Amino acid sequence: MTDERDPPEIPLEPFPVYRQVSPFPPLSETGVRTAGDPPSDWNQGADAHDLPTRENRLATLGRIAFPPAPPLDDEGVAARDLRWTSRTIVIVTAFMLVFNAVSPLNWSRQQAPGWVQGTVQQVSEVWVNQLAVFGVDMPRQGVREAWMAARDARFVGQEPVPTAP
Amino acid sequence: MLFPTLAFGIFFLFVYFTAWSLDRENGRRKLFLLLASWFFFAQWDWRFVALLIASAVLNWAVAALIAKRMRDHPDGRRAWLVGLGVAVNLLILGFFKYYGFFIEQAGELLTQFGWERDLPLLQIVLPVGISFFTFQGISYVVDVHRGKTPPAKSLVDVMLLMSFFPHLVAGPIVRASDLLPQFDRAPRLTRAMATHGLLLIVWGLFKKTVIATELSVNLVDPVFFDPSAYSAFDIAAATYGYAVQIYCDFSAYSDMAIGLAALLGYSFPRNFDQPYRASSMQSFWRRWHISLSSWLRDYLYVPLGGGKKGLISSCINVFITMVLGGLWHGAAWTFLAWGALHGGVQVIERLGRAAFGDRKVVPTVVGVLVTFHIVCLGWILFRAENFDLAMAMLQGLGRIGPVTMLTPLLLTLIVGGLAMHWLPPRAIEGVAERLKAAPSITLALLIGAAFLLIEAVRPEGVAPFIYFQF
Repeated sequence: MTDERDPPEIPLEPFPVYRQVSPFPPLSETGVRTAGDPPSDWNQGADAHDLPTRENRLATLGRIAFPPAPPLDDEGVAARDLRWTSRTIVIVTAFMLVFNAVSPLNWSRQQAPGWVQGTVQQVSEVWVNQLAVFGVDMPRQGVREAWMAARDARFVGQEPVPTAP
Repeated sequence: MLFPTLAFGIFFLFVYFTAWSLDRENGRRKLFLLLASWFFFAQWDWRFVALLIASAVLNWAVAALIAKRMRDHPDGRRAWLVGLGVAVNLLILGFFKYYGFFIEQAGELLTQFGWERDLPLLQIVLPVGISFFTFQGISYVVDVHRGKTPPAKSLVDVMLLMSFFPHLVAGPIVRASDLLPQFDRAPRLTRAMATHGLLLIVWGLFKKTVIATELSVNLVDPVFFDPSAYSAFDIAAATYGYAVQIYCDFSAYSDMAIGLAALLGYSFPRNFDQPYRASSMQSFWRRWHISLSSWLRDYLYVPLGGGKKGLISSCINVFITMVLGGLWHGAAWTFLAWGALHGGVQVIERLGRAAFGDRKVVPTVVGVLVTFHIVCLGWILFRAENFDLAMAMLQGLGRIGPVTMLTPLLLTLIVGGLAMHWLPPRAIEGVAERLKAAPSITLALLIGAAFLLIEAVRPEGVAPFIYFQF
């Protein structure tokens, strides 16, 4: 980019080569009077924070009885996030213990016989049976049955799944 | 102890709560994580722990000597120390991983020349993850020598660097410059990290236990075991299925490793970036097993001369790098051939770029399709037990016959496994960013429901990860 004008032999078409002139004359030249700003009603001596406000009395009591905690520093934020994560993990674990109770039972059946395996199996069996009364095993069961049906599906004309003797 | 098992879940819960209860004592925290990692590793074989400790002590000592020499004699030669460190690491790797292979090949060679000998064959157990932790050790020693990373402040740091259980068995290969600075201070856990970590664990669990396991058990393993019994459709499906299986298997491990480390407050680098979207082999290796490909680039390709000495030299170097990368995966000719295929295609690509410049010669779609099919051809070599089976797979692609193995569900899994490469590139991060503001109960119920869904459809038991054998 330079400050020199483009040489006249360079054609600039089809782009406009000059500023379009407005078809309307400037307002100042038309003699039309325009309304000015209304006079300001701002009181220079007033401070907005001094204006009286009415606060709910219960809110006032709450503010005094349970003052808001000071803003958290980095360590506070980290501790809060850690608590949040730990809570999430604990809830997920509890959720799985209820809705996926059969998992420890299956695991114990795959282990070599022993004291730990036997104890886990017995406790799991009782736990699974108790939960089955409330039907909490149904979501898992339903999904599994749908999955097994999808697994057994075949293309049209394809040989069906061999059935176990 | 595999990640997607109940035993590991209990182990991780114990590690998580204990580690965070020690967060004001970083030294004790690291020591606890080290002991937990050794316990985790000892579940395969306690003798492996001794090897891991010996390897860590060796690398720590060599790096300390290099650092001391750099301080005392800044201009002195220390290449021999680096060479020593690298050589000992390679010796450990070579003995455990390649001894049997080389002895067998030497025996066959001698027999061909009529000098049959009873060479000392040893039944050596391959320690799980040895390729990963020896490569980590090498990178630590070389980085200290290059001044890219300062030596670790303590032996515990080096031991934890090499033994940290999320990456110990199958990567990603986390470099000292990434992890050691994180060990210097007590880690902080943020909601973003935790949400991202939890989502990665769920996503990894889904890929491994549902997609990879289902494809492996019901399609890939039977077809690769006896290709002559199947038609072209089944063989093609098994090949595409294996491409999806190995991606879902290995990237799942990386995802879970990154997620577990994030829950403990540590950040690991990304290891996969939608590899089957690559429109060239070079691009594939920027997206597949990124920690290995960048390791090979920095510690093998660049020391060989890289691309500094011209086109021919760079072609030779990239070919050698890829062949050795193939050998890293296992002591077999099929892996060498796999590496040679990838190296050869990259050489052709380089020559093409030299001839045509950066001009786009083929449309991106064609590039993606061609690259994907070359990668699939490589996966046949990679998966087949030997060349005969690989050739049988290729011959079977011309055999007309009924479809016996491919089912609608398996087809859906293959298509789904490929389609996930066209999700937005940082989809998990995006979802985590939205969920991090949710109450813990909301996130927990979402994660719990996802876990339940996965648990409901996964097969009983879980196969080891493919990359454990490497």
